Amino acid sequence: MSSNQLASETTPTVFADIPREWLEEFAAAARRPLKTRFRYAFIKTYKPVLDDARFRAFDTTADYRRWCEESLPSWLGYGRV
Amino acid sequence: MGAFEYRQAEEIRDAFASHGVRYLFLGKSGAILLGFPDTTQDADLFLEKTPSNGRAAVAALLALGFDLSADQQTQIERGKDFIQLKNGPFDLDLIFAPDGIECFDDAWQRRVDVEGFAVCHIDDIIASKVATGRAKDRESLPRLQAFREYWLHNR
Repeated sequence: MSSNQLASETTPTVFADIPREWLEEFAAAARRPLKTRFRYAFIKTYKPVLDDARFRAFDTTADYRRWCEESLPSWLGYGRV
Repeated sequence: MGAFEYRQAEEIRDAFASHGVRYLFLGKSGAILLGFPDTTQDADLFLEKTPSNGRAAVAALLALGFDLSADQQTQIERGKDFIQLKNGPFDLDLIFAPDGIECFDDAWQRRVDVEGFAVCHIDDIIASKVATGRAKDRESLPRLQAFREYWLHNR
């Protein structure tokens, strides 16, 4: 029996609206030790402006959101939609 | 500086525990701790906003090797709502007032323990992401909400 057959026969109906590939990814992650999940999950790439200061503090979260919108390149995705 | 490592998360967990810091992993880093398979660059910590917790957090961060000036320590102790640290062994965002979560105590009651890590409940993580309204969060929300269903069913 293939893994796809197995997945289709054991997928609870409560997950009917969830894409099969996502369910398979969730199940695969659940089988991995936390340490391994960490190694796959955390990445590091340079983010312009955001990574250019060693410390920033904002009085309010709204101030931080505003700063992100005004100061960061839009392609980083920190702006509101 | 490289990517955030499991060993460093353990160091946070242990230093914060020994200094009595009340905190929760939040954001995608919290979701990853719960089992969400995705990638992120940041570790986000939601801290209780009290003077004593701020002082405890500063003591823990100094013990972890963060290079904090007196003024920066004061800002953390005061609990400024959002603080970005890139002056230590790893990057860290300290959030004292996250969008979408009313109060720390409520989130603390709902917290999930993952191998000793205090993590926000998936519903709080999603509420926070919804409230930010950011493009990058909107894109990841459908998959995160699907993970919520999976996680609730299998926990």
